[in-house]
Formats: sequence, structure tokens, C-alpha cells
Amino acid sequence: MVENTGKTLRTDTYRPVNTPEPVSVEEDAAGLPVALKKKRQLKIAAIDDRWRIDDEWWRQEPVARLYYAVRLASGERLVLYRDLAGGGWYRQDY
Amino acid sequence: MKILCVLLPHFPWRCEARRNPEIKGRPAVVTYAAGSHRLVLDYSPELDGLQRDMPLQQALAHHGDAELLHADVPYYQSVFNGILAALEQRSPLVEGAELGCAYVGVDGLHLIYPDDDALLEAMREAVTETFASQIGIAGNKFLAYLAARRSPPGGHRVLTGDIAAFLRKLPCDVLPVSLKSKNKLRDFGIYTLGQAAALTPGPVQSQFGPEGRRIRDLARGCDDTPLYPRMMEESIEETTTLASVTVSLEALLVAVELMLTRVFGKIGPLEMGIRSLTLRTRTWNAETWERTIQFKEPSMDIKSALARVKRILEDYPQPGPVENLSMSINRLGYPRGRQKSLFSEIRAREHLMNDIRQLEFRLGNPQVFTVKEVEPWSRIPERRYALTPTGR
Repeated sequence: MVENTGKTLRTDTYRPVNTPEPVSVEEDAAGLPVALKKKRQLKIAAIDDRWRIDDEWWRQEPVARLYYAVRLASGERLVLYRDLAGGGWYRQDY
Repeated sequence: MKILCVLLPHFPWRCEARRNPEIKGRPAVVTYAAGSHRLVLDYSPELDGLQRDMPLQQALAHHGDAELLHADVPYYQSVFNGILAALEQRSPLVEGAELGCAYVGVDGLHLIYPDDDALLEAMREAVTETFASQIGIAGNKFLAYLAARRSPPGGHRVLTGDIAAFLRKLPCDVLPVSLKSKNKLRDFGIYTLGQAAALTPGPVQSQFGPEGRRIRDLARGCDDTPLYPRMMEESIEETTTLASVTVSLEALLVAVELMLTRVFGKIGPLEMGIRSLTLRTRTWNAETWERTIQFKEPSMDIKSALARVKRILEDYPQPGPVENLSMSINRLGYPRGRQKSLFSEIRAREHLMNDIRQLEFRLGNPQVFTVKEVEPWSRIPERRYALTPTGR
């Protein structure tokens, strides 16, 4: 029998980096992001790029995301994605 | 091994004559003080019956009209160092055996100097004519020294052929052994190297001890003494003369500080410190005081070097009022703190880990994380890297 080493198991010993941050996004009729809602509404001036990721489709919770590289009216650049599997918008550095 | 010996006879007197040409042609004796005794260091070549280290009174009994000169050993040393440096331009292996005697390793120099004449010419150029150098070339130091001694002033002698015949008639006084052994040889009726060479090893060793074997070997022309080339580090010499003679420690320290400032001005760009220095003083009555100071760690600034010198000056008082100070830097070194250690990285990591553990002990939970690659190729950004607690 394996003796108890007395070591406490810790759940916080591994942290993923760059986890997605849920955000509120206003969409247009075509489903494209037009504004980002934070404390105040930040208008999206342009969509520079768009790409889709489909991965881990063999799992119970597959990954299906539609990424948008957007530029705000202030000039700031962000990467947002819409979770096609679970729904909702997220912000994430790609 | 082929050795070349450069002898500079009457070197102290010639240094004095170089500094003050008026003494040429006048009988002069260079003296130094050893405790309360005054002894002869050197003398004009035309004076006979004198010997080095003989009491001055005895010398004056022979030549009462001789002019007395107080030895300025730091100056002689400085001139000799200049000659050694010039010889080092010709060969990297140069040993300054004593003032006025240098050995040069000349193996392999035939690629630069095709024959002995070219080699001798190059060596003679390194020594100014003032010193009337005598040069000898032979297979070891002792034979090269003898060859130089037997060469005419300003000339040379290359020892080849029957070495036993050359040595046979030479007096035992030429042997570089203790005065006690020389006297003992004389007591036994052994006056020449030929007689010494004929001795059987056992009885010689029983009578003379370890020196006996050396006497026999040298008399047979065998000398296994290696050449000790002087270190290639640049020798830094500084001299200062005080405005007035003094015994005040503060005044001496001011002069030392001045010299150290000049020294650090020279070695500063090298980012090196002083590992060893020799401090010499000369009193108004020509007594000399000399101490070599070693630094456990290279002294990188004036303040630390001065503190060490101050302690030496306090512990070893001057023999009289000082009029001149000189300083030779014998060895330089790099600061220990800047030397890279094989294990420096491991040590640095150990210190870091200790600090992190201390932080966690105080604040709880992991506080410092390391970014690690998990799936750097993943298309999903959050799968690429992870944070793991540092040190676990």
C-alpha cells in the first residue's frame, strides 16, 4: 500500500496562459461584430481579418470558433471570436 | 636548450654614470647600508682590489680618494627592467637573474636570426653601449654565464667544442654556490673546476651535503636549472621625491596616494587591480627600506590599496627621514567578483529558489510562475503555454 506522503494536492499548480475573456459584442444583421460593449460602447471601425478554427471535434465539447481581427475607432487592434459551439463572444490574443 | 647570457658588469656604477656623466674617469664607489654597516655595492671598473659586499672601510683603505655614491636601487632596477623589456622584443623567454645579469632562451630563434652573428647583433641592439655588455651562448645557464664572463667587454663568446677543456682551468670561485662551500673547497685544496669535476660523488656529498652534487655537476658543465622567464605583465614603476625629508606617516601616505593615483590611471582601462606591489623608500643618508605587499584579492581602487599600505608603513617604521619613494607593481589581477564560475548559474538559481520559497512561506500559495510550452503548435491559443509554479 502506498503511504500517504502528506503532500497536499493543489489545484492551482497549473494555469493556462491567454485564456479567452468573455465580452459583450453588438452584431449586425449578418452576424459581424460592429461594437464592443464594455463600460461604454466601443465602435469597431474595421474588420482586418477573419478565420475559423475547428478542432477537437472528437470530444464532447468540440472547439469551433470564428475569429475576427478588428480595429476599433480609437485605432486599437483586438482579436475577438464567436464560439460557434457554445455561443457567446470572447476576446483573446492570438 | 640554447641559452644566451647577457652580463652587464658594474651595472650600478654605469647607471650612475649614465645619469651623471661627470663621474666617468673618476674613482667612485657605490655604497649601501645594511643595518649600521656600510658596504660596497659596486665601483668604477678601474679600481682593483675591491669586491661587492665588502665593508666600505676596507674599500677606503685601498682607495681612500674614491668618491662615494649612495646606491639608488629603484633607479637601477628601473633601468634593468627597461633592458629586459628590450630583450623581450627579441625573445619571449627572458630571465632577470640579478641586477646586470639576464638569461635569454634562444631556442627556435634561428627562424628569425639565421646565425649567431645576427642573433648577437639583435641582442646587442637591445642593450645600450653604455653598459658594455658581455654575451655568452651555451647549452645551459651556467655555461652561458661563464662564456659571458670570459668574453671581452662589448664582445661575445659562443661555447662549443671541448667544454671540459674550457672548464678545467677555471677557479672554483665562479661556481654559483654558497661562500661557505667555496671556502671549504679551498680548505680541501680544490681550486679549479677540473679538480672539482674529478671528485667522486659520494665523498663530495658527504662533505658538502646537497650542494656537493651541484658542485660536481657544475664543474662538469652540467646545469639543469631551468630558465625562469619573467612574467609578461607590464611592470609599472612609479617614483616620487618628497619636497623635504620626513618621517611623518601622513606625508608618506600622501606620496603613496599620488603614486597609486598614477598607477590606477594606467591600469584603470584594463579593469584590473593590484595583486602585489613593492614599496621602496630611501632615506636622506641613503638607507633603503623595502616591503612587498601582497593583496589577497586584487585591489581595485586607491582607497583599499592605501589602507593596506598604511598598515605596512605603521608596522614597519622607516630607518630614517625619507626623501624618496618608489613603487613597483609586480602583479595585476582581475577582480574575483567578476570572474565567471562554472557553477555561478546553479548558485544564482539556488538563491532565487530560496527567495521564492521564503515568499510563499509568508504569503501562501504559489507566488511566482514559470511560463512553459505545452502545445506551442496548437491552433487553440490557450493550449500553447501554461504557467507552472517556479521550483516545483
